[in-house]
Amino acid sequence: VAVAWPRPAPLPLRPPPAPRRRRVNGLGNPPAGGGAGRPAFADAAVQNLLYKMTGLNLQKVFRPVKKELKPPRYKLMTEAQLEEATRKAIEEAKEKLIMPPVLNEREPIDDVLAEDKFLEGSETTKYVFTDLTYSIPHRERFIVVREPNGVLRKATWEERDRMIQIFFPKEGRRVIPPVVFKDEHLVTVFQQDRHEDILNRCIAQFEPDSPDYIRVHHRTYDDIEKHGKYDLLRSTRHFGGMVWYLVNRKKTDGLLIDMIHRDLLDDATSLITLYHMLHPECQSAKEAKEGNLQGVDLIKVFVKTESQKEGYIQLALQAYEEATATSTAS
Amino acid sequence: ALFAGSRLLKGYRGGHVVIRFALGGCTNRPFFRIVAAHSRRARDGKYLEQLGCLDPLPNAHGERVAGLNLERLRHWLGCGAQLSRPAEKLLGRPGAWGPGWGPATARRGSPLLLAGLAGFLPLHPMTVTGAERLRRRRGQEAVAPPADGSPGAR
Repeated sequence: VAVAWPRPAPLPLRPPPAPRRRRVNGLGNPPAGGGAGRPAFADAAVQNLLYKMTGLNLQKVFRPVKKELKPPRYKLMTEAQLEEATRKAIEEAKEKLIMPPVLNEREPIDDVLAEDKFLEGSETTKYVFTDLTYSIPHRERFIVVREPNGVLRKATWEERDRMIQIFFPKEGRRVIPPVVFKDEHLVTVFQQDRHEDILNRCIAQFEPDSPDYIRVHHRTYDDIEKHGKYDLLRSTRHFGGMVWYLVNRKKTDGLLIDMIHRDLLDDATSLITLYHMLHPECQSAKEAKEGNLQGVDLIKVFVKTESQKEGYIQLALQAYEEATATSTAS
Repeated sequence: ALFAGSRLLKGYRGGHVVIRFALGGCTNRPFFRIVAAHSRRARDGKYLEQLGCLDPLPNAHGERVAGLNLERLRHWLGCGAQLSRPAEKLLGRPGAWGPGWGPATARRGSPLLLAGLAGFLPLHPMTVTGAERLRRRRGQEAVAPPADGSPGAR
């Protein structure tokens, strides 16, 4: 999927460029979940499924961001103009819903460039040197540290991020990561139901392959899954990432129930299709491929074989079927 | 229009381009800018280009932060700029390829990028000498006080 990264004012996200390229298309790099032949987060099919599940609630996407207070503007439009405006709004919303990348955790840097033992003791603190050449990508920048014992080594990822933020500041990012990203404070954030805000802030603050980014995202997804607050992230750009995380860990039951309760059968089928793509060796995947099942049958097969909360899902399905029966009957 | 002999355009006799530290900051809070300027200019005066900075005081993580625009540094060194003594200590000694220096261990500048360039950033001899002198002095101090301490303790 070739995506052009949008740069909206408060929270820009810059993906990690592959070597020699400033802008990477989508989510290149090793597939999340490893293993040859396994579908990756970036595959077109997977992205399609995740995008369908994310939904497109214009009211939520264009929910007012706290800005300077201005009086509302009213426009008088014909039907055709209104349709045109809605179409444009949908396109803008699609851009806003581009999913941030899901990458593996980065390897720590541990490279000694020179050892000069005779320098030991002549300095008391370490020196950090940053190459300020403007035209090289941040991932290829040289940032080296000369320790007081004379060793010249490459800087660790945390030092790199700090130095790059000092010399090339990015909006929305702080030099020292805010305290709110620590586990004890994340709990408070979750109690206030502000998962989307904390995820947006996390995207602005950390690089996608840093351990902090991955940890915050996983905590958020776990909390949402524990309390069943899936709707908080629906129609935002984080929904795809959450679904990917849950499907990889086979914790899809709560989400499935939620979708059935909200009468989103298409989303439920997409979820199960994605599950089969990622875990092709499971029972329901084989049955589905043999029988070439669609729709509600697919869900039933999945429920019988894979899910833990079978009873709940059966109940929900029954309720849904009754509802459709009564609505078609009346 | 600039008139000949105008106070604004100062003409110097002789002089060359140097890369040196210009001091800024406030009282008890120095801050150096690594700068390419004419040698006859004031230390903090008009310069040709700023090539980086150095904060001599350690920050909250105990490190002294320095930034160097290596690409422009290479350009000015290619134009024939000299380095001042502290800049030499920080960056290395261009043109000091000698039999005594061994492998191209870069001084505190970036090694890999510039090790290929002829002689940029091998170690300054004063660094080695300074470190040896410091060690020798510390060794003497370690020996001397016990000799004075015991008679002085009475």
